[in-house]
Amino acid sequence: MNRSARSKLGQMEIIGLVIIVILITLGMLFMATFSFKENKQKKIFTRELLAYSTMSALMKTTITDPGCAQEYGTETSPQLEKDLLEDCALNYDSAKLGGYSLYRCGGQHSCAFLTTLTKQLLDQTVGKWGKTYQLQSKLYLAGDTVGKTILDVKSSSQGCPIGAERDTSKPFFLNTEIGLVENVLYICD
Amino acid sequence: MRLRNKKGQLHLTETIAVLFIFFVLIVFGLIFYFKYQQYSLKEEQEQLVISNAIRTTSKVLFLPELQCSKGAAEPEDNCIDLMKVRHVAEVFDRHLTDYYYPIFGYSKIVINQIYPEQKEWVIYDHPKPIYANETIIPLESTYFTLTLKDESLGGENIHYSFGYIQVGVYP
Repeated sequence: MNRSARSKLGQMEIIGLVIIVILITLGMLFMATFSFKENKQKKIFTRELLAYSTMSALMKTTITDPGCAQEYGTETSPQLEKDLLEDCALNYDSAKLGGYSLYRCGGQHSCAFLTTLTKQLLDQTVGKWGKTYQLQSKLYLAGDTVGKTILDVKSSSQGCPIGAERDTSKPFFLNTEIGLVENVLYICD
Repeated sequence: MRLRNKKGQLHLTETIAVLFIFFVLIVFGLIFYFKYQQYSLKEEQEQLVISNAIRTTSKVLFLPELQCSKGAAEPEDNCIDLMKVRHVAEVFDRHLTDYYYPIFGYSKIVINQIYPEQKEWVIYDHPKPIYANETIIPLESTYFTLTLKDESLGGENIHYSFGYIQVGVYP
């Protein structure tokens, strides 16, 4: 066999090898795409429903702590959204100092009590089911375009950041004496 | 002549080696394909069970036997009446075969209260007959948060507790 024929044979072998490598790589890529494909639609549907139902249940919850009645002196069972959240919005400025709030459930300011309770409830449900969450309440004073965050409860330090694959409960609005409170729950996988 | 013979043998060995590698590759491919098929079938089955559980959950949430209703008014969203929950298991048991089994199938429905105190009501439990002698039965569950309305506590306010419903489908 002369030199050029040998060289041609070598080239052909290399080409064959390259084709085999390409075919194997394509096969692997194909398999990988199939394995990582998830049923996204169903996941989103479930998450959205879960976010909405959780928010709706949270907002209706009645607080049974006897300490809530301190200001009234009689027994009272405030509702989380209608009473406690409104109280938190009205007295938010004094919250950091542990100042005045109409309800003193658990001996705490309404905002502090809401943070503790909602975290506890969300941890025992959404958190336990392997999801991360973020509950945000923003107060919009008359003429304000940027709301003031009065409640920000997260499952971890990060919660459910904007870039993450998350679903929302849609805003739950509460009209108070000083402005509008917008409550949203975000749920991520 | 002998040299040619040797060359021929060498070519034959080369061909056999190439064919061997080729078949090994095919066998690997087939094994991989069947494993993948097995895995995707299992996943599909799981998805079916989960969809079934979601369907059952929706049925439970809109069941008049459990929903929070007041006369002709619209029933409340995501709300279950605790006064109904306390007695519904008897109703489900009484009409299991003629009415509730076709609706819920082989499943287990549990209502859990988290706040103010932890409580649990198993309102429906109908496992497949194959699990008759088993103590631990596998369940594919879906969860859904709920408001639990209680009007039995008296006072002017209606009490709303926080809880969830767990619907498990027997695979």
